[in-house]
Amino acid sequence: MNSVLIQGVGVVILLVLGYIFGRIAEKRHFKRIIKREEACQHLPVIATRYPPTDQPYQQIMVTGNVVIASDYFKGFLAGLINIFGGRVTPFESMLDRARRESILRMKGEAMKLNARYVFNVKFDTTRIATGRLAAMEVLAYGTAMVPVNQANSDAKATTLNAAI
Amino acid sequence: MEYHNKLPPEGINTTAVHPLKQFFQMIIAAIVLVVLLIAVLQFSGSFLAKRIPFSFETAIVSKVEVPFGDASKHPELTRYLNDLAQRLMANMPIPEGMTVQVHYESEEIFNAFATVGGNLLFYKGLLQEMPNENMLAMVMAHEVSHVLHRDPIAAMGGGVASAIAVLGLTGNAGTGPAGSVLNMAGSLTSVQFTRGMELAADSQALAALYSTYGHVGGAAELFELFSEQRGDSSTALTQWFERFSSTHPLDEDRIERMNNIASEKEWPVNGDITPLPAGFTQWLQAE
Repeated sequence: MNSVLIQGVGVVILLVLGYIFGRIAEKRHFKRIIKREEACQHLPVIATRYPPTDQPYQQIMVTGNVVIASDYFKGFLAGLINIFGGRVTPFESMLDRARRESILRMKGEAMKLNARYVFNVKFDTTRIATGRLAAMEVLAYGTAMVPVNQANSDAKATTLNAAI
Repeated sequence: MEYHNKLPPEGINTTAVHPLKQFFQMIIAAIVLVVLLIAVLQFSGSFLAKRIPFSFETAIVSKVEVPFGDASKHPELTRYLNDLAQRLMANMPIPEGMTVQVHYESEEIFNAFATVGGNLLFYKGLLQEMPNENMLAMVMAHEVSHVLHRDPIAAMGGGVASAIAVLGLTGNAGTGPAGSVLNMAGSLTSVQFTRGMELAADSQALAALYSTYGHVGGAAELFELFSEQRGDSSTALTQWFERFSSTHPLDEDRIERMNNIASEKEWPVNGDITPLPAGFTQWLQAE
């Protein structure tokens, strides 16, 4: 009976810690994401696979990759939702963060290259941890369109570094 | 062509619900679900287990090494206890083929219990507190009644059914809470009867006591002794908590209930007390 009690107390402690730290981390991350999205809004990210033909572009693949872990509270809550069904809200916000962060990182690479656009943008996602430990990888990739006459300038890279 | 992006709108890909609110809704629902599931399984498990023929139950249990006391060490005492059980059973509605084996363990534990296969175990700690045969007969009749009502197999059936369900929910055998539940449910010595079972056994035992001795003296005294042995937990709050949580009914309630039954059926509460056999104390001294 004692071991059950100790386990129960352990679970409660992990839940409280997971909730507090997970919530702080998520709020701070969203704040940073929104700030950076505003800072690099000038670079359009387009899903179409037909590139513009108005001028010659150098085409370079750019990627943005993020691995994001859930916390104990999110995992526990998701487990409960699993019983009854419905939206797995704790993972919705986690994946939203991961997608937006991966786009931002991809944009970061494109801005270093002085790209004007990123075309043919796609997402890829993988679960990279099993069991209680849930972690997701989200990869955003696309084709950076760098105007040929601007390829060597690095003026915009500085703005990017300041933003991040 | 113009290419541009807008800032992603907030709240499209996430649901605005407070995680704690959702957490408490879910945890309450989950607890209700588990309690209902366990209750259904306990009920159906014990319902089905009661339908196992007694002969089959005995045959299964005889294959298990039961860690009960060695009868050859205490031949007189074991014989006397079994003889007492037989005398009481002669006055009880025991179905054909149902037998009881009484075992004795020389440990200082104030307890006696009935388990599967019609096995009863009496501890030295309880026997040495018995002032006369009537009181001992009440304990014996109570435990025999459990066997008669098939309580041990029912409790075990319910326990195993719900333990398997918990195991399925948590998914880890051997370790963790599920493992210990399974171990508890599987253990011979920790069979837990419900309060209903205890009260039914009390009534049955009281009837057996009356038919054997012509009065029910010793029954109420037995539960007074239980009270003493357990220590006094007299505050209103602890009594309420005990009444709510304990598998056994409170001793006071049992005494009252027993007196009610006795007066209703007009069974005398006092009568000639049958002493314990002459060698009883010496039998208990033997290691």
